[in-house]
Amino acid sequence: MSYQVLARKWRPKRFADLVGQEHVVRALSNALGSERLHHAYLLTGTRGVGKTTIARILAKSLNCETGITAEPCGVCAACRQIDAGRYVDLLEIDAASNTGIDNIREVLENAQYAPTLGRFKVYIIDEVHMLSKSAFNAMLKTLEEPPAHVKFILATTDPQKVPVTVLSRCLQFSLRNMTPQQIAGYLAHVLEVEGVAYETPALSLLGRGASGSMRDALSLLDQAIAYGEGDVKEEGVRAMLGAVDCSYLFGLLRALADADGPLLIREAEQLAERGIGFDSALSEMAVLLQQISMAQIVPQAISPDEPEYDAIFALAGLMAPEDVQLYYQIAVHGRRDLALAPDEHAGFNMALIRMLAFHPLNQREPAPAAVRAQAPLAAHAAVAGREAMDQARAKLAQQVGGTRTPAATPRAQAAAALAGSNPAPAPVPAPEPEPEIEPEPAAALPLPAEAAPSIAAKGAEVADDDADGREGDVLPPDLPDYAMQDDDEIYISADELPQKPAAFDGNWLALVAEIGPRMGTVRMLAQNAVLKSWQGGALVLAVPESFRHLASRDYQDKLRTVLAEHFGHTLELSVTVEETGAETPAMRDARNRHELRQEARVVLENDPVVQQLVREFDATLLTDTIQPAQE
Amino acid sequence: MLYPWHQADWARISSEFSRLPNAWLFTGMAGSGKLEFAEHLAQALLCDQPLADHGACGQCESCRWFGSGSHPDFRRLSPIIEGEEEGKEGKPTRKLAQIKIEAVREIIEFSQLSSHRHGQRVVLVEPAETLNPAAANALLKVLEEPPDDVLFLLVAHSPQRLLPTIKSRCRQYPLARPSHEMALAWLKSQGIARAEIELAHNGGAPLFNHDPALTALRDQFVAALAAPMLTGMLDMAELVDKQKLPLAVPLDWLAKWLHDLAGLSLACRLRYYPEHEDALSSLARRARLPELMRCQSAVTTLVPYGQHTLNVRLQLEALLMDYLKVFA
Ligand SMILES: [Zn+2]
Ligand SMILES: [Zn+2]
Repeated sequence: MSYQVLARKWRPKRFADLVGQEHVVRALSNALGSERLHHAYLLTGTRGVGKTTIARILAKSLNCETGITAEPCGVCAACRQIDAGRYVDLLEIDAASNTGIDNIREVLENAQYAPTLGRFKVYIIDEVHMLSKSAFNAMLKTLEEPPAHVKFILATTDPQKVPVTVLSRCLQFSLRNMTPQQIAGYLAHVLEVEGVAYETPALSLLGRGASGSMRDALSLLDQAIAYGEGDVKEEGVRAMLGAVDCSYLFGLLRALADADGPLLIREAEQLAERGIGFDSALSEMAVLLQQISMAQIVPQAISPDEPEYDAIFALAGLMAPEDVQLYYQIAVHGRRDLALAPDEHAGFNMALIRMLAFHPLNQREPAPAAVRAQAPLAAHAAVAGREAMDQARAKLAQQVGGTRTPAATPRAQAAAALAGSNPAPAPVPAPEPEPEIEPEPAAALPLPAEAAPSIAAKGAEVADDDADGREGDVLPPDLPDYAMQDDDEIYISADELPQKPAAFDGNWLALVAEIGPRMGTVRMLAQNAVLKSWQGGALVLAVPESFRHLASRDYQDKLRTVLAEHFGHTLELSVTVEETGAETPAMRDARNRHELRQEARVVLENDPVVQQLVREFDATLLTDTIQPAQE
Repeated sequence: MLYPWHQADWARISSEFSRLPNAWLFTGMAGSGKLEFAEHLAQALLCDQPLADHGACGQCESCRWFGSGSHPDFRRLSPIIEGEEEGKEGKPTRKLAQIKIEAVREIIEFSQLSSHRHGQRVVLVEPAETLNPAAANALLKVLEEPPDDVLFLLVAHSPQRLLPTIKSRCRQYPLARPSHEMALAWLKSQGIARAEIELAHNGGAPLFNHDPALTALRDQFVAALAAPMLTGMLDMAELVDKQKLPLAVPLDWLAKWLHDLAGLSLACRLRYYPEHEDALSSLARRARLPELMRCQSAVTTLVPYGQHTLNVRLQLEALLMDYLKVFA
């Protein structure tokens, strides 16, 4: 055969060739050396860190003709056949394409028969998280009472999807992500042996681009060799990775700080021309905004070694902290909405335009609702000037994510009411019992100056506005209000000493509420994570896709440290990215705030002074600008 | 076939024939011909007498089979669009087009057989984003260690939606997007009416459906947006509804319009409707930003339901009322 991709060609055949998994190798070597063997192993870790590789080497260790050994000879028939993927007593099962019970049952029925050639019958079950429930159950029986000649090696990227009953019968090893340095070092070795010329900085870029996975790194290296037509050069790799050049993002943010819309959009066009992905641009931008925010609030948190130190602080001086927070949220949401835009370019532009819309210079008019506030009420409710603007912004901010279920019922009713002026009223889908909308006297609502083309329009305006009034402050359940929390409270550090360490009781919400204020930057992760599982001193957290960047190794390490400080001992911690739908601390806080707002609204609506103002001065209560006082 | 803007990519890819990966993942903007590129590549790899530029000869038996869609060593993995079926609560729902695990199993079986013609075998997966999670997982093993003669070609315009485990096993290749001039010249050579306007409306992507009736309707719709009045909005909702168009169509028109409106108001830049620049500029002066942002959010929210059997007229009326409020 002609060419074999590097990831395959360089799959380690011995434990000694593995990179970055010393802890696993040591444990396995010890067990093999002393022949204290478990009957089932579970290897976990992200993609391309060596799960399948370790499983195959272990299979050789168990069946090498030189005896059970951590250093299989590699030359005996067993070793060679295993390397070639055709050893009769090694059964490698892809759980992802054989998810059903029948496949598993068939395989397991064979387990009772003694191995044909080797010492052990070894079953490698890869992607084991994909097995169906019944398939897991079928496997469980064999796992409980395995014949002495059977060894199971399970591997998965997603151990959370493996039932506890299975987990508890396996000796588990978590493989680590590799560091960029480890990867770069290994790539240098590969290239030297392959006789390919390279520039060291190019390998560092690849090391970073691989995000901890050696297979990603080797796939990228293959690509880089092709791209560089035989050489691996820094410039080429940079172009190939489409790495979002930092200077480029700084340009965007400077244009934003100057409210220079035309420049901003031109920069976006440049980005497209350079083939930089809008998705990665938005996520990098979010990271940068986070750093800027940090520079504004806890400047000492930015290391002076940070290569972009000066640029970050320059931008920090150009933008108001609350604007930075808002831009950050818009970037995060904009990224999520990219797939919903007419094309990604439009989605990216809209995110930038949204940021511009909130720029102080573009607050050329207060939110329309605020305009309607008559002076007496405005004075009374202290909703004026900059403050109104801020509130309008906060309100707008809620629309940044703007998720709304289609045709929320009041809206649908308004539309139906509107359609009433039409010969064929549109039916309302899924009508729910809902209080009738009482048309208010038109005088209560100032009519728009220009756009009132007909009486029907007036009626529509009233009905629709009223519906909006009702809908406006009842946040639809999926409106990501939690994402709009005041992130600056994240940085508040309490003076008080940590409470007496108690054991973690599994109540994540309570824990975050308790120690959140002391968490520093990592509070962002804690606030937006749900506890997926908690057993045997190991915490598994999950964050939604839109907060993927919070699942980084860096954040995880920080959170581990914070938790260790609190509890006085280290907890095992991992963070996955998935939509669990469960309530995060941030969502809980948002809900609490929302409930407080509701309460405040009721109080205000029943306030005799307010009622008088409404009656006598035609005032309108801006229900969605109400903020509970204790915030 | 190879589009003119893919010539350089072709030269590069064909220079990699001596170091074929297990799988190529072609990415790039939607509507720029990635699929055609991948097909061109597949045919070339299967061809018995490739040309000097490594392209397919178009004459040999293999090429003829490929042309008739019956090449025994070629498989295409594409989503099957399912008809409407009864969903929960008896409401009709339309399932999303996706590639399912059964189809992937067939591909795995195919790859385990031996080649009919003792040469290369090719599996084309397009669009790869439509692999559902079970299907994507099932593909991992064969993608990583396919038999020597099997090559996978994946095509995706939103690679960020692919499983990292899939991407990890592929050699990624971002295909070039055509320059404006190139795309325009190509459209004109195809005899497309109003090439400039249509190209802008499609965000610079030269490949789109040409449906004169739909274009006429769009013109009407956009004219109504340009002169925002209640009666016009209601008429449009009714008109679109009568044509039985899925909500996705007017949503796309409106989203692009709002993009241009917001772009003109804050950045003096438009992208999709250059022919309406005057109307958009005067609207931009009247537009209230918060309402505009709100309206845009409302459109975005509905996008996932674009093919859903919602009451199109009702949804559109509600949206257009939001739109009117931008200028209230
Ligand atoms: Zn051996
Ligand atoms: Zn041919």
